[in-house]
Amino acid sequence: MPRANSKMRRLLAVGAASAVMIGLAACSGGGGASDEHTVVWSTWGTPEELTRFEEFNDEFMKRHPDITVELQPVASYSDYHSKLLAQLTSNTAPDVFYIGDDKIGQFVDAKVLAPLTKLMESDASQTHPDDFFPGLFGAAEQDGEIFAAPNDSNPDVLWYDKQALAAAGITEDPAALAEDGEWTTEKYLEMNDKLAAAGLTGSMFWNYWATHYSWISSQGGTAYDDSGAFVGNDDATTVDAVDTLGRYFQDGTFVVADSMPEGAGADSVFVTHKAGFFSQGRYTIGTVESAGEQDSYDIVRWPTPDGQAAPTGVATSYLAINGKTKAKDAAFTFWTEFLSAEGQVFRLQGGGNAVPSIKGADEVVLEDGYPAHAQTFLDMRDIGFEDYAAEAVVPGLSTDVSDLFLKLYEGKADAQGTLDAVAGLVADKTGE
Amino acid sequence: MTVITGDATATPVASVAPPAPSAPGGLRRESAWRRRDRRWGYVFIGPQVIGMALFVLLPFVASLVLAFASWDGLTELTWVGFENFTAQIQDELLLRSIGNTLLIALITVPIGLGLAVVIAVALEKLKTRTLYLILFFAPVVTSTVAVAMIWQQMFRVDGVLSETIAKVFGIAPPDWLGDPSLALLAVCIVSIWSSLGLNVIIFLAGLQNISPSVIEAARIDGAGAWRLFRSIRMPLLSPIIFFSSIVAFISSLQTFDTVFVLTADAGPDNATRTIVYHIYDLGFGRFEFGPASAASVILLVLTLVITAIQFGAQKKFVHYEDDAA
Repeated sequence: MPRANSKMRRLLAVGAASAVMIGLAACSGGGGASDEHTVVWSTWGTPEELTRFEEFNDEFMKRHPDITVELQPVASYSDYHSKLLAQLTSNTAPDVFYIGDDKIGQFVDAKVLAPLTKLMESDASQTHPDDFFPGLFGAAEQDGEIFAAPNDSNPDVLWYDKQALAAAGITEDPAALAEDGEWTTEKYLEMNDKLAAAGLTGSMFWNYWATHYSWISSQGGTAYDDSGAFVGNDDATTVDAVDTLGRYFQDGTFVVADSMPEGAGADSVFVTHKAGFFSQGRYTIGTVESAGEQDSYDIVRWPTPDGQAAPTGVATSYLAINGKTKAKDAAFTFWTEFLSAEGQVFRLQGGGNAVPSIKGADEVVLEDGYPAHAQTFLDMRDIGFEDYAAEAVVPGLSTDVSDLFLKLYEGKADAQGTLDAVAGLVADKTGE
Repeated sequence: MTVITGDATATPVASVAPPAPSAPGGLRRESAWRRRDRRWGYVFIGPQVIGMALFVLLPFVASLVLAFASWDGLTELTWVGFENFTAQIQDELLLRSIGNTLLIALITVPIGLGLAVVIAVALEKLKTRTLYLILFFAPVVTSTVAVAMIWQQMFRVDGVLSETIAKVFGIAPPDWLGDPSLALLAVCIVSIWSSLGLNVIIFLAGLQNISPSVIEAARIDGAGAWRLFRSIRMPLLSPIIFFSSIVAFISSLQTFDTVFVLTADAGPDNATRTIVYHIYDLGFGRFEFGPASAASVILLVLTLVITAIQFGAQKKFVHYEDDAA
């Protein structure tokens, strides 16, 4: 075999070494700004959302020509936090970043986020703590210090299909009943019974904290006490409420949306008028619009025993500032404008996928007049709550609790047993 | 021994005589050349060694160390001794994951290898086998993610597979990915399909490597096609089948990407949760790197034990030509 000459060998060796360096550089990927006038920020999102964020960046840079903003998007929510964690560990994290409500507690506990209370109260702030709806801070607030604020929110309302209700012989309108203070648990379950008798699905829920805790709260029960201990298993009202919830899942009147098959998922069942109610956020507007069936749908709050409104779950995500950012002032300017009423209106208008988390931006929810009772989104947000901080600060705990509730829904456990198991799990994981 | 060619030497290294005054400079020149060549060798293997050190050795050592610690990647690391191991061994999810993983291995390895042998034998004498080989090999060179996404569509309740089954058997279309009793089977089907081509090619090469004289001798002795297959081809192919079974078993124990793409959140009721998915979920879903590392050490031990069992069993089933001699 002919020998490679010395030049060729050097060339090959340099090429191989370069390939390794390029590979390693590619692995490192991104990182925060290296100067105080550049803000790198990161989020997950759909292509439409990311396009809107880029537009926000452009507008921001027009207002602040001395600040450069760069978006570092991550397509998938499931990959987002592990990447952020790696970046924080290696000191290459963005200056400003989104955090999911299931992860915020852990990032706050780790003290990697900049404390924001003083900055929010400063003159430069467009987002004072009181501007936000208090129930939305959840685990982002610890010992009176705010470490992140909600980007926007999504109260889980009960969407209902008028055609499906009519097909089941239901003549009363849930939203009208709610307006009259007559939207009771009894009425709701009665409607579900009729839907099931007509061969339709009564209600569909996603199996996560907002479902079981909204139900417990709306039925007058108590899941956690003020000290953060899970007390639902010792509260008779909670046990009764969970027992009712379990029974309706077990007999198939209620359905866990997560377990529905591909191709016949909850969205397609709902837009084909095969289910009466579907617990989801404002993003459902896109689903019913794309099906061309929006006139058939409206929303209502969760039913209560006495027909009066009660707090229920509101999903959100948070925006935080890296505790080690080199562009502290620029990062806060971006952060406060992104979350301000103007910022939220800019981000949420037209898309219709969320509800503002700040006062003064509600027109984006009401301007299109859809759904007919769009005000319900705002009313539920105003009194709603984020996942309990005690649960949200422990990674994976919320998912484990949902797994225990799933066993109840599948008939593998009873209400008291489920709540006892949740209490034991929470005590074990939180060291209470 | 191979003679190293080149202008500096034509003498086999092993036969080089001790330095002789009659050949001044000759050996020194060769040594200098060899030293230089060795240096270049190091330069060439350098990138690979760096890559191995960074992406294999370092994570391996790190996971061994982290298995004895509690660390979420953000806060300070604390040593917990064997706590992660005891917690993992008692963790229902890990036990479920081990069960699922072993089931995948026990289904996919025998069926996958058996099918590959049958197909290789069928293709051996076929003139158009290259075309078939390309078709069988296509899934091997296709990204697992792409393969899983295509199968995901086929496995839908209204997908081609379910609808065909429903029409042929007159039953309700099966919900492959939503039914806990079918989801794992769906993963096995995809795994078998995507690894089939590689095994077919390996077995075909093995079959073609069997000496024609052995086949001819068996024919002269009156062996028919079945006898030839059972008593000649299979025994001579057995070392290759053994090698493939080791590789396939280890690969099955590491099943992750198919599960990750095909069944969201490890399927209904964790029906497709494998050990590697469990490790991923602990490490990158919950940031529990200690328990995740402990689970990965458990996987390592499991793999070693199973491989050792396979090596033990090979004495009974694998035929080496040297043994016959």
